[in-house]
Amino acid sequence: MKLFADTWSYLLDGSSWSGPGGLLARLVEQLLLTVTALGLAMAIGLPIALWLGHLGRGGFLAINISNVGRAIPTFAILAVLVTADWPGSDTLGPYGRAGLATLIALGVFALPPLITNAYIAMREVPPDIVQAADGMGMSGWQRFRKVELPLALPLVMSGIRLALVQVWATATIAALVAGPGLGRIITEGFARDRYSQGIAGAVVVAAVALVLELLAALVQRALDPVPRGSSRDRDEEESVLPSTLSEATEAVGR
Amino acid sequence: MMLRRPLAAALTLGVLSLATACAGDDLAEEETGGGAGSGGSTGGQVTLASQSFDEAALITAMYAALLEDTGYEVETRLVDTRGAYLGEFPGTVDIVPEYLAGLGDELNIEINGEGAAAVSTSDTQETIDAMAPLLEEKGIALLETSGASSQNAYFVTQEFSDAEGVTALSDLEGQAVTLAAAPDCKGRADCEAGLTEVYGMDVTLLPLGYASPQTYQSVIDGESQLGQTGTFDGSLEAQGLVLLEDDRGIQPAQNLVPAVTEEFLAEHPDVEDTLNGLMEVLDNDTLGALLLQVTVDRETVEDVAQQFLTDEGLL
Repeated sequence: MKLFADTWSYLLDGSSWSGPGGLLARLVEQLLLTVTALGLAMAIGLPIALWLGHLGRGGFLAINISNVGRAIPTFAILAVLVTADWPGSDTLGPYGRAGLATLIALGVFALPPLITNAYIAMREVPPDIVQAADGMGMSGWQRFRKVELPLALPLVMSGIRLALVQVWATATIAALVAGPGLGRIITEGFARDRYSQGIAGAVVVAAVALVLELLAALVQRALDPVPRGSSRDRDEEESVLPSTLSEATEAVGR
Repeated sequence: MMLRRPLAAALTLGVLSLATACAGDDLAEEETGGGAGSGGSTGGQVTLASQSFDEAALITAMYAALLEDTGYEVETRLVDTRGAYLGEFPGTVDIVPEYLAGLGDELNIEINGEGAAAVSTSDTQETIDAMAPLLEEKGIALLETSGASSQNAYFVTQEFSDAEGVTALSDLEGQAVTLAAAPDCKGRADCEAGLTEVYGMDVTLLPLGYASPQTYQSVIDGESQLGQTGTFDGSLEAQGLVLLEDDRGIQPAQNLVPAVTEEFLAEHPDVEDTLNGLMEVLDNDTLGALLLQVTVDRETVEDVAQQFLTDEGLL
């Protein structure tokens, strides 16, 4: 019980949050790492996965290759990258020591949920809608942009949401190579027998993860072409969607 | 080739996590090493625990070889941090090859809470006296301390030392210094706090580990000026590194000392002579040379320990 009380008072103490190594500074560092790594992974993974999904082939390969990222521990990738001549442990601007290595390791970690969800999102667009689009004389690009992508978005977004929270929580490993982020607070706490500090760091990571999850869920809902609650009206107005689809996408998107 | 590196990495990590998992399990086991019912005689089971870095592992291997030689069945548990075995000592752990001040300060935190004033000083006897009440409360007895004292020490490159004329830590007074050290360095009187307050350095800490390859590399690359290692480190010269003298004495007395639970010692008083004999023959230079056989020649700690004890006539 004393430990929880210590943790609580550590969290309430203003001086734990301020300064260059304080919770706030570390939190911002970790957010920056997370957002950048996720951005890189999205820039690489999403176009490939969406296009393969549009073509309807190569998905098995893409998903399985990206799943290698799930199988190899992110820390192993980081350790290998830091020991290698490139990218090594050089400081990269605001990303701190071994910044590039950390971004790559986290990016690889973010790829599997992004690619898997985006590919499946495209494949889940009902074939009759795709055929209708073809029948209307849409080109491949038009079909992709006007029909498939809007319908796939909620599921794509759920992949991003998953990746965001995973990457955020995993970004603490940067501390193992003396990089930035809240991991520094945690490792330092345990290394110095200040378990209250270590636990406080973990609590902050968890709390921010929940906030990020919530924000991403809001974005996901906003992107849904068939918003919940009013789905029946919209079905009648826009009429492209069979009423079962909205339920299907929601079910997968959860 | 494409697959080989990730595969090797995956395997390494797998083995590592397995090893840690085992260490955790071992400590949780509800078996008593201190041979219940073996009453006062030589022999029986004994469980050693220590930290897993090479130096501690080597000294632990010496304990194990000596105890096995006198008829004990030895189980050794090496873990990453002292905290991982201290909860089981006394308990499932009977004997720990300890460092004097390290044990004292950690017991102090455990018993008197975070932020309690340190019990250790740079004087061996003072430290033992200050630790006495803590040891009594825990039920731990210390045997004779060794002349070998494993203290933190700080190194720079030979090049830096020559160019700046730096041979002692006080030569860095008033300078901004990046220090590659263990993550527990911050706030410690024998590390960051001492270097800041006693030596007046402006320290930026990189938590890269105690005498770790990352720490050496960081100093050699010039990313850090100062690196943390121990007084037993015999690998410095070959890497073009040199120790700085602790001329203001910030290092606590980290003499090697066998820590035995009072209960085990009462049942097995013979271990006292066995382990005190080992403490007598160890000193910094001897251990430095032996450690090189482990870190550089990649011999196993068991082989090195066996050879050394045989040469010393202890086996």
